[in-house]
Amino acid sequence: MIMEPLDLYADIYDLVVKCCTDISPDVKKIMQNAIEVESSPTARSMMQAMLDDVKLAQEKDKPLCQSPGFPAVYVTFGDGTRPGNIKELFAKALVTATKNGYMRPSMVHPLTRSNPGDNSGVRVPNFEFDYVPEQEFLDITLSFKGCGAELGNAMKIFTTAQLGKDYSGLKRFVLETVTKAGGVPCPPIGLGIGIGGQMDVACRLSRRGISTRRWDDSNPDSLYASLESELLQAINRLGIGPAGTGGDTTALAVKIEGASTHTAIAPVAISFHCWTARRAGIRLYPDGKREEIL
Amino acid sequence: MARRISTPLTDDVVKTLKAGDNVLISGVIYTARDAAHKRLVALIEKGEELPMDIRGQVIYYVGPCPAKPGMAIGSAGPTTSGRMDPYAPILMENGLKGMIGKGRRSDSVRNAMVKWNAVYFAAIGGAGALLSKCVKAADLVAYEDLGPEAIRRLTVEDFPVVVVNDAHGNDLYEQGVKEYRIK
Ligand code: SF4
Repeated sequence: MIMEPLDLYADIYDLVVKCCTDISPDVKKIMQNAIEVESSPTARSMMQAMLDDVKLAQEKDKPLCQSPGFPAVYVTFGDGTRPGNIKELFAKALVTATKNGYMRPSMVHPLTRSNPGDNSGVRVPNFEFDYVPEQEFLDITLSFKGCGAELGNAMKIFTTAQLGKDYSGLKRFVLETVTKAGGVPCPPIGLGIGIGGQMDVACRLSRRGISTRRWDDSNPDSLYASLESELLQAINRLGIGPAGTGGDTTALAVKIEGASTHTAIAPVAISFHCWTARRAGIRLYPDGKREEIL
Repeated sequence: MARRISTPLTDDVVKTLKAGDNVLISGVIYTARDAAHKRLVALIEKGEELPMDIRGQVIYYVGPCPAKPGMAIGSAGPTTSGRMDPYAPILMENGLKGMIGKGRRSDSVRNAMVKWNAVYFAAIGGAGALLSKCVKAADLVAYEDLGPEAIRRLTVEDFPVVVVNDAHGNDLYEQGVKEYRIK
């Protein structure tokens, strides 16, 4: 069965507007907790200003950041819940939201930089489809990820030897990459790390983890879970702080996603997410029931 | 406590600003991103007049959202300053005194700030709605064809920034990080 696409447009438009005007509740809570333990007064007031910014955006129904970042849609569906033509619906919702003042026209040709002016474009938004045959619902998660944040991204194909004892090579790569990015990715950041597959797989996983998971969840894989918390602590000892001007709160979350890889390689990709964790999702059932994905 | 300053910036005021100072800016500032910078520098190189007098002025690296009815401007937070690095020194040579953005500057920009007595401020990246509240008026100055990247004259009130690079060679991105770094 194909879910009736006409039904979905209003939901999809709502996801777009939500991504423009709000950040995920889990991230707000993590930031609130960080303010309580942060030792730099400037850093504290900056994070308070960030939360105030979100509140104001909500009140005034306007974008919380001038940049919408780049939109990506994560879809998982089963045999009975195929999504219909949501590609068209999302493209239309983005253009409409732009006309309605929620999004700055930011999608351009990759070389000529020409800007159609309405956030339409080739492969905009980006779609990641995941087919889970027995799944009885359709999950659609929209993520806006900042592109200042993208400037810090890195990927490296390690060899087994380069991974190092206790993965020290991997850890060093992560810490060096975060240090180099400094204040550019609008810290406090969320860091997505994709490991395995080949280059393309690792890169996609690096964004999927940080763009679709709650920032307060824990990884069901115990090795990844312990690496996530170790790296989070290590990053927060770097001193970069909110906006990069110094402080204890450099990262709010680290999320690792893995895939099997080939004996010869260990691909590692790092995706930065700015503090504006704009993620909104909806779960749809064939009987028309809808649930918000938090 | 934040210090209040107003634009245009005099050499004396610039000299007293120190990396790490919290500052509230009032007065006129100009918006420009890379495309506009490229055009400004091309004019200077040809010896032609700029669309605005940049002496003593501050440029804010921002591409704002369109304004909602009744508002001066849409969300307007800082963009990555590094993209303007190739153009910034020549503007300082021609009298620019301040820049507002986010992220580290190149060595040549930092050296130019010391040489020409100028400062670089960071605004809070991502807080576009909050920052737009400080913008009381926005008027188009040049390059309307660039859309959100056109040059606009913003009248701001108590626009909150932190001094990152002062005219004495200090850099908050280095100092602040060192101060909070745990070995
Ligand atoms: S990186 Fe910064 S400027 Fe870009 S979307 Fe994120 S918060 Fe906004």
